[in-house]
Amino acid sequence: MEQSIRNLLIVSIIFLFCGFEAAGQFVVRGTVTEKGNDMSLIGVTVVEYDENGRILKGSITDPNGNFTIKASGPDAELHFSYVGYDSKTVPVNGRSQINVELVPTSTEIEEVVVTAETDSDPLTGVSLRDRTTATSKVNMDDLQDISSVSVDGALQGQVSGLDIMSSGSPGSGSSIVIRGLGSLGNSNPLIVVNGIAQNITPDPDFNFAGSDQEDIGQLLNIAPQDIKSIEVLKDAASTAVWGSKGADGVLLIETYRGEQGETKFNYRYKFTHKREPDPIPMLNGDEYITMQLEEWHNAQGIFEVPDEIAYNTDFVDFYNYSANTDWIDAVTQPGLSHDHYFKASGGGEKTAFFVSLNAANEKGTTINEGFDRLTTRINLDYELSKNLKFTVFFDYTNSHRDGNYMFRFDIDNDNRRDRVNLRRMAYMKAPNMSIWERDETGELTGEYFTPIESYQGRGDLYFNPVAIGNLSDNDMDKNIFQNSYQINYRITKWMHFIETISFQYDNQKNFTFLPYTAIGTDWLDGEVNQAGETQKNSSRISSRSQLIMTPIVTSVHSLTMTLLGQISQNQSRFSRFVGRNGPSLQITDPSAAPQIAGMNSQSFDRRSLGSMFSVNYKYRDKYLLSAIVRGDASSSFGENRRWGVFPSFSVGWRFSNEPFLEEMNFINNGMLRAGYGQTGKEPRNPYDRFGLFENANPSQYIFNDVIIPTQIELSNLKWQTVESWNLGLELAMFKRRVNISADVYNKVTKDILWRNYDIPSSSGFNRLAWFNGGQLQNQGWEASARITAIRMEDLRVSLSFNIARNRNSFLEFPDNFNNLVGTDIGNGVYPRMAQIGQPIGSFYGFNYLGVYSTPEDAYALDEEGNVRIDANGDPIPMRYANGYEFTAGDAIYEDVNKDGVINLNDVVYLGDSNPDYTGGFGINTKWRQLSLSAHFLYRTGFDIVNEIASQTEGMLDKNNQSKAVLSRWRKEGDDFEGMLPRAYLDHPANNLGSSRYVESGSFLRLNNLSLSYTFDPSIASKLRVDNLELGANLRKIWTLTGYSGQDPEISQRIGDDPFWFGTDNGMTPPPMVFSGFLNLSF
Amino acid sequence: MMIFPGCEDWLETLPPDGLVKEEYWQNKEDVESTLMGAYQGFANMDELLFLYGELRADMIVEDNNMVQDERLVKNGDIFPDNKMCDWSPFYEIINYCNNVIEYAPAVMDNDPTFTEFDMEGYRSEAKALRALAYFYLVRVFNDVPLVTEPSDNDDVDFFLTKTDGDTILTRMKEDLKDARLKLRNDYGNENENRGRITQSAADAILADICLWNFEYEESLVYLNNIINSGRYFLQPTIRWFEIYNPGNTYEGIFELQFNQQNNQGNTLYRNTYQRDYYQASLYAREILLPELSGENVRGKGSISTESIGYKVWKYCGGAPDQRTLRPGSSNRSANWIMYRYADILLMKAEALSQLGQYEEALGLINDIRTRALMPPAEIAFTAEDFEEAILLERAKELAYEGKRWFDLMRMGRRNNYANKEKLIEIIIENVSSTRRLILASKLTDPNGWYYPVKDTEIESNPNIEQNPYYEN
Repeated sequence: MEQSIRNLLIVSIIFLFCGFEAAGQFVVRGTVTEKGNDMSLIGVTVVEYDENGRILKGSITDPNGNFTIKASGPDAELHFSYVGYDSKTVPVNGRSQINVELVPTSTEIEEVVVTAETDSDPLTGVSLRDRTTATSKVNMDDLQDISSVSVDGALQGQVSGLDIMSSGSPGSGSSIVIRGLGSLGNSNPLIVVNGIAQNITPDPDFNFAGSDQEDIGQLLNIAPQDIKSIEVLKDAASTAVWGSKGADGVLLIETYRGEQGETKFNYRYKFTHKREPDPIPMLNGDEYITMQLEEWHNAQGIFEVPDEIAYNTDFVDFYNYSANTDWIDAVTQPGLSHDHYFKASGGGEKTAFFVSLNAANEKGTTINEGFDRLTTRINLDYELSKNLKFTVFFDYTNSHRDGNYMFRFDIDNDNRRDRVNLRRMAYMKAPNMSIWERDETGELTGEYFTPIESYQGRGDLYFNPVAIGNLSDNDMDKNIFQNSYQINYRITKWMHFIETISFQYDNQKNFTFLPYTAIGTDWLDGEVNQAGETQKNSSRISSRSQLIMTPIVTSVHSLTMTLLGQISQNQSRFSRFVGRNGPSLQITDPSAAPQIAGMNSQSFDRRSLGSMFSVNYKYRDKYLLSAIVRGDASSSFGENRRWGVFPSFSVGWRFSNEPFLEEMNFINNGMLRAGYGQTGKEPRNPYDRFGLFENANPSQYIFNDVIIPTQIELSNLKWQTVESWNLGLELAMFKRRVNISADVYNKVTKDILWRNYDIPSSSGFNRLAWFNGGQLQNQGWEASARITAIRMEDLRVSLSFNIARNRNSFLEFPDNFNNLVGTDIGNGVYPRMAQIGQPIGSFYGFNYLGVYSTPEDAYALDEEGNVRIDANGDPIPMRYANGYEFTAGDAIYEDVNKDGVINLNDVVYLGDSNPDYTGGFGINTKWRQLSLSAHFLYRTGFDIVNEIASQTEGMLDKNNQSKAVLSRWRKEGDDFEGMLPRAYLDHPANNLGSSRYVESGSFLRLNNLSLSYTFDPSIASKLRVDNLELGANLRKIWTLTGYSGQDPEISQRIGDDPFWFGTDNGMTPPPMVFSGFLNLSF
Repeated sequence: MMIFPGCEDWLETLPPDGLVKEEYWQNKEDVESTLMGAYQGFANMDELLFLYGELRADMIVEDNNMVQDERLVKNGDIFPDNKMCDWSPFYEIINYCNNVIEYAPAVMDNDPTFTEFDMEGYRSEAKALRALAYFYLVRVFNDVPLVTEPSDNDDVDFFLTKTDGDTILTRMKEDLKDARLKLRNDYGNENENRGRITQSAADAILADICLWNFEYEESLVYLNNIINSGRYFLQPTIRWFEIYNPGNTYEGIFELQFNQQNNQGNTLYRNTYQRDYYQASLYAREILLPELSGENVRGKGSISTESIGYKVWKYCGGAPDQRTLRPGSSNRSANWIMYRYADILLMKAEALSQLGQYEEALGLINDIRTRALMPPAEIAFTAEDFEEAILLERAKELAYEGKRWFDLMRMGRRNNYANKEKLIEIIIENVSSTRRLILASKLTDPNGWYYPVKDTEIESNPNIEQNPYYEN
């Protein structure tokens, strides 16, 4: 592989220098202005063609409308073209100074010539203006000032219907959902860069780290400055052309390309400081001990006080257990990052190039978290002749992430094992324990304090987060390499053939090491000096052939037809090796460890074919019609159900061109559009459909091999289909100063693909790998507006606003569907169920009503409200399902059915994790050299289960609790505002999944505030630069929310299962970001 | 579609790390390998077989580290979320057996060396193992779904209702009667002769089912088949401990084979010896400790001394000193004995005594006692006295071999629940004194003697009804 990378580099460099070879003889200068006034036109393309139509020379006009071109001779002809103006050809006739006036096109951009260039759809070749589907496009020139390491950060809140939730850990990706959850499992949209589908969604379901979203993140590793535009395709009629991978929406990203003319350089440096939001205030050591003593006493009466909380100075570990440690503070650090970006672009008469290099280095806000990234990109356009163009895209990303070791942690002895990160442990860890070990005289020993058994429990479960942070490793290296070639051949005037071939290669290596010094555990324990290495390689080869035909292009009729064929093959290989009990801290290679703790490998080969035929017809630029039929075949299905055929059509009516609206000339463009489409989705793992026989473990009985069926054959597996309707309106008014776009949609997912569908274990299995069934609906609307309020010489003010509403619900369940998964109740457990008509993400629990002040308050009442009495005439206290009798200091839950018992029958609907409205708004102003922009982000009407609060206010275990518990019930008769239940070790019911921890997550956030100053060109030129800009950028600095946790923008995996709901589980929240930048062009 | 003719083959990618169904069932080794899966399925659940036989009975009590779910069962607090209610390990075995029964015949077409005799032999082993799995299921859960087709395709109806326990056992008896005619008695080596289903093993299962159904005369037919086969003998006293470790003595009829060296270790060694999960109950100590009962052979081999905590002592290669392990004993290699000759003799004694043939029954009991160096028993010639004596003798001889609870159930169910109270008394011995009365009154409903269906099973199968005892 390395050899081939090197070869490719050489090839690419050769191409790069092709552009510089030519040098002309006859220099022509001039100015281009608009006819009728003297407004100079910036960016007009000036080209000289040879007799074959090949471009010989090219240039573009500068900000003053001036151009310089080295023409081939005094007889040359120069061709001037500019979007929105009629092109013009001017003979030089020996002049060295030519001034040209261009006439604006009568109807704006009347006919965009189909070239599959950036302003038309890469697959169908239809111009963006004539699209009749729901899409939103963001031009990154509008977002330049947003200081974000990745694109998703910059996009957040900018596009209606796009819901992004970011994570605070550096280098970890965000979850992106377009128009709600359309399918179960992975609802990430397809990401397309320069017309090439990216292999970004993590390949087949590697089971390792099922709960770790950080590895799955790392999406969109593209330098934001490379991006020219991002477009979001939302309805099925627009995503249909992308086939099955686009079923959950498509993000089209275009990067900058070279342009003919002078070579330009740009350098940008950005410095960023990040700060964690204020942490939840936790008890200090003394408060903690008091609470622990109370827990013991309430639970057991008289008890033998454990040494660790007894203030016993004779205890050997006295000094280690009498600290006041602020664990959160100890694992937090200010985050810093440096980002250097360099780009160069330009072009000669045959070649245009764009080269960029981006180096970013980020230190996270949790100790030992960091991220380095190096990205390079080369885009080359080579015009072999007027009819043949060759394009190369090359990009390479190398990144390294420093993370913290994650433990499997048994949360509540209920076999629910979860990964616990440092920050979460910092919240749990007893504050009376010290970070550093002291001996019995109080002297520091120089070691971290990591007892094998602490007051809280096993040392490897209740680890020392500072020790883990500083000593352990969990690093990831990633190399992504991508290379695409595109040939665009104009067969006839009306027929293009485009062939695109793309190679993507992705290597990811994870390395973990857990030295014995970082955990308190026995020398022989499996975790001691455990080293693990995971390798994942995936490659994707795809090719796409397009034939774009425009047989009719007149001012009355216009017809475009496209035929497309596509082949792709994804291969991946995964291997993991874990060794343990290594002899030394220096030997961190897993293969050197004396014991093998685990070894596994997997490989996949997934193949697909696609073909599409589309027809676009336009009549008098008023009536537009588009029809597409797409066929997809995937190796994930058996022969009989392999092909899925998905039709879609859409119509548009540009009413602004109707004669009866001519009077209303304030409307510049208005279009109504309607579309219907189907898309399909296949299971990602191509092997899930087979009946499998595998070796059992142990692999023999007596002397005979054991091979058992391990997977049920799926002969009914078929495509999941999404059918969607969309109605939309586009409006541009008042000289295009007001742009409005609005859409309503209805999306129904049929034959939903359920992953690991439960079946009765009497079958000998617990699940089917996949099962099709049921229907899910997403309905909603979205609107956005961009208004240029002031457009004056010195002052420009523009406003933008967008809003989206989506509601999802189940329309139908499959037969025998188990909608009651997890009807367990218990502390911290929310029963989960799915119901027809209710959205995914609904959750259930008890209704929390406060705290019983006295034992009498805890008597159970019957339907009439009288105290229940037993056979002896004594009052009966309220009971919990397991028989526990509630008394003073316990939590009150509503006894919905008045039977005197709090059990599953009292569970009620508590909330929904889907937001009602999402969106953003912002203002951009520019006054002379100064620009200021502010962007707000909002999500409203969704609920969060504040799991962190549940863990820090329950007072029933030995974990540290928040300062909120200082106002707990302590003695009979206590009754005050905000009182929490009593501290009680292992209380069966004081912390049930209830309304107590359900909070509205609605928020409004100043997501981005930036200020920049562009120096006057005269000053800049003294510094020998064309452009000099300085700026500052603040992100997430202000949030309006009623949510009491750290941050309502919770990081989570979305829609893994129909019983998913949003919990705030203490992942690193997005920090506040302060950055400054310098931008130089020369 | 029209663009890509002939691409169907290109889209057919096969998994690299397993065999797909279409490639399987090609030769007799395939059939045998899946059949072995059924044996291994039983072997993997040795711990469960122990627990189902002992947990609710009176021979063990909890020790410090007992698993919570097991403790709840022990205390009579059984709820459907208890992992002991998970019947899936049995159904995995049943599915392997169903696969063998279904697909073995067609393999003969592909593999000319696969004879009808071999094929019928494998299918008969599968039928017998399936019968044994259902026998356990019926004894533990009573009514359960009856699955007789392999779950090998998503066209199969997975959402079955329960079938009456008696119906299942009748069906399984038919299978066994058919299978016993086609089973081998010799697989060519000792390990397989004891570790796989032979004709005698099928007879033992049949006899056990008949005894459970109180069909004494039919039971005697199969028991006599075994006794008259002349292949099995009581192990001599001096080598009594070899029954368990290394196992495969002349006494063994069907033993799940474990061999630590071969990476096929049992779980019981860990659970009984290494971890403090459970220890011998007071009752067990009373009948087994040599100083209390005079049981110098069986007692010393069944439980350890007080000094190491009255551990269950059969599965760890214990020395007769009840404290140390015998040198050379391989830790996790003790077999799980499903049926052995002493069990057969005591079964026969039970059947005979229920038929009023006390004299012969007494002779069999005394054969067992003599081997254990115990004086002959003196039992009054009544069915009740014999029932009691045989129960005690079985408790001593077959202690911790997963028999006790089922013996007690048989007693409680006999003669239309005539001895119900005796069983209830034994169960409530395990719970705290304050809860005994409540539990005793609840257990008058014999449905409570069976386990509930696991909650997840009820949730994933709407056609399954919960055991009425646990509904509310």
